Amino acid sequence: MKTRFVLIGVVLLGLIFGLSMLTAAKEYVPGDLLKAGFIYVGPIGDLGWSYAHDEARRICEDAFPWLETVYVESVPEGEEGLFIDKLILDEGCDVVFTTSFGFMDGTLDAAQRHPDKILAHCSGFKRNANMMTYMADFYQIYYLNGLIAGALTKSHKVAYVGAFPIPEVKRHMGAFAIGVQEVDPATGLNVRWIYEWFSPTAAKEATEALIADGCDVFAFTEDSPTVVQVAAESDLPSFGHYSPMYDFGPDHVVSGQIAHWEAIYLDFLAKVYAGAYTAHNLADVNYWWLLKEGAVEMGAKPGMLINPVYEDELKAVIVNDPILGTISVYDLVMKRLEQMSDASMVVDPFQGPIYDRKLNLRVPEGLRMSEFELTTMEWAVKGIVGPWPGEQ
Amino acid sequence: MGWEIWVIVTLSRTLAYGTPLLLATLGEIYAERSGVLNLGIEGMMIMGAYAAFSTAYTTGSPWLGIMVAALVGGAFSLIHAFASITLKANQVVSGLSLTMLGLGLSGVLGRGWEGKPLPVSIPEITVPGLSKIPFLGPVLFEGQNLIVYFSFLLVVVMWYILYRTRIGIAVRAVGENPATADSLGINVNKVRYLCTIVGGVLAGIAGGYLSVAYRPAWTEGMTGGMGWIVIALTIFAFWNPAIGMLGAYLFAALYHLSFRLQPWVSPELLKAMPYAFAILVLIAVSRGTLQKKMGAPAALTLPYSRGEE
Repeated sequence: MKTRFVLIGVVLLGLIFGLSMLTAAKEYVPGDLLKAGFIYVGPIGDLGWSYAHDEARRICEDAFPWLETVYVESVPEGEEGLFIDKLILDEGCDVVFTTSFGFMDGTLDAAQRHPDKILAHCSGFKRNANMMTYMADFYQIYYLNGLIAGALTKSHKVAYVGAFPIPEVKRHMGAFAIGVQEVDPATGLNVRWIYEWFSPTAAKEATEALIADGCDVFAFTEDSPTVVQVAAESDLPSFGHYSPMYDFGPDHVVSGQIAHWEAIYLDFLAKVYAGAYTAHNLADVNYWWLLKEGAVEMGAKPGMLINPVYEDELKAVIVNDPILGTISVYDLVMKRLEQMSDASMVVDPFQGPIYDRKLNLRVPEGLRMSEFELTTMEWAVKGIVGPWPGEQ
Repeated sequence: MGWEIWVIVTLSRTLAYGTPLLLATLGEIYAERSGVLNLGIEGMMIMGAYAAFSTAYTTGSPWLGIMVAALVGGAFSLIHAFASITLKANQVVSGLSLTMLGLGLSGVLGRGWEGKPLPVSIPEITVPGLSKIPFLGPVLFEGQNLIVYFSFLLVVVMWYILYRTRIGIAVRAVGENPATADSLGINVNKVRYLCTIVGGVLAGIAGGYLSVAYRPAWTEGMTGGMGWIVIALTIFAFWNPAIGMLGAYLFAALYHLSFRLQPWVSPELLKAMPYAFAILVLIAVSRGTLQKKMGAPAALTLPYSRGEE
């Protein structure tokens, strides 16, 4: 009697398992309901990177009636494989987005394990027939912020608190320094590293150290508004990072960088829904989206390009541009923003001639750095002062 | 003149960053002196940080926030006290659970509190007159807040109670030899409960200091491992409040300098410096002779049951 029950149980279990494998392996049919999973490296409450991705997820869910989303937060790098499997097998996701550079290899492995599912990895460079890559990059906005910083500094020392000395942060510092130097070649960009993506205490002490060294305008890469708050306490201007940080210093946040990941997510998901992107044609799909695609925005908060508190001061600083002639920094920023937002992108911060800080010519006149060069950039642009681990 | 400003800024930052470390260390010293190891500091701190911020934001009073943080920290420590003193559970496990519980619970409760600037935070004060004293003036009496001064007072009071009063003798006796203390008529469990609560209250205040004074904002996980530094500092202090003060400030000074010195020293090396300091101290302290002389309370982590020895 007992044996028979056990036998029936085993068979039933086997059937259920087989059934679940069957459903899991089903490929997405364009036009069906689509389920997308998101894997975040941090808590969605960090007000930085993971927060911005989650904002975008919610916008997508509101925009598409045929879309359902799920997410997992605070996933440690290296454990992404387990969570991808869980999202695909248990949750039945058709598309999975992994949103940290460190998830790259795990995502590729998962793509090979689930050849019928679509994977998308943020900020990496490895792709597969069913795995695309995407990135919304801030370097153009850092350059615009740099122009403003060069006009506002009185001590000729501008500051940058950096998270980790990796190409992404080095590129942003470089773009910022190029902007600063374009307005005021006598100003240096003073750099400090905190070796954390999120650490309010480290960001605070690093900012205090820079203030003590005489810096008077602040930019940063870290996932909290700490630098903005500390600068405002000392009555110094700063630029927000990732999320609108205007509220943390209404009289001191001049401008900043705001991410719009939804631009990429909406575009990609709509194309999957329409059948343009499938699990077989993604090997060359790479979103490297900038101002002109609307994936990033300059501003102290959405719609406020430059804080009105600083408008007069920026209009009063006049520079001489070889093409635009005599122009105020305020107008220069607006002009450059317009040029880079336009599809033809006639200017770019990383167009030659660009020298590194050892005064070697890195980008000759008439050339522009490629996406590959930008994403592997290790050298320090002229004007950067301070430690530069891994300098080449 | 240049180097003087250097020293002044460094000392001033040392006080600002060292204060939460000091507060929580003082509390842990009392808990461990009575024989209760509480690894839940991080959890109690972050609960305090959340409680202080949400209270200060809602009521507009950061001081009320600090008070609620103290209450929440104290209440949270009761979980550990109940588990490890009354139920005699393993203190390491119970303390670790408290840390995990605090980090998780504050993360969930804190949803929606992120990205909100605190309208009124605890003000930095400059004492007129005293701030003009050369050197000491700008360090002690310019840009610090009342909690910093409160922590000075606390070191003196807690040191005095521990070494110069009957209460202090009772605390130390319970931590060294609870059976003897019991036979002398000391209520072992009561002393342990009270000391654990003192630890919780001070950890709560330390967390509150972070969210309404040091950097007025709430973010999930904002204590960033400070609670573990506190555990190390407690050992460094040989369970003595005065040495605890020295340790907290040494660590804080190294932490600030790790950013200040970057133009001259490799940032990787500097980043490791405060932590390397803590590890070296732990190694030194755990060596035999020193430990015998001034080591851990003998009954640390041991639950006490009457008549079981």
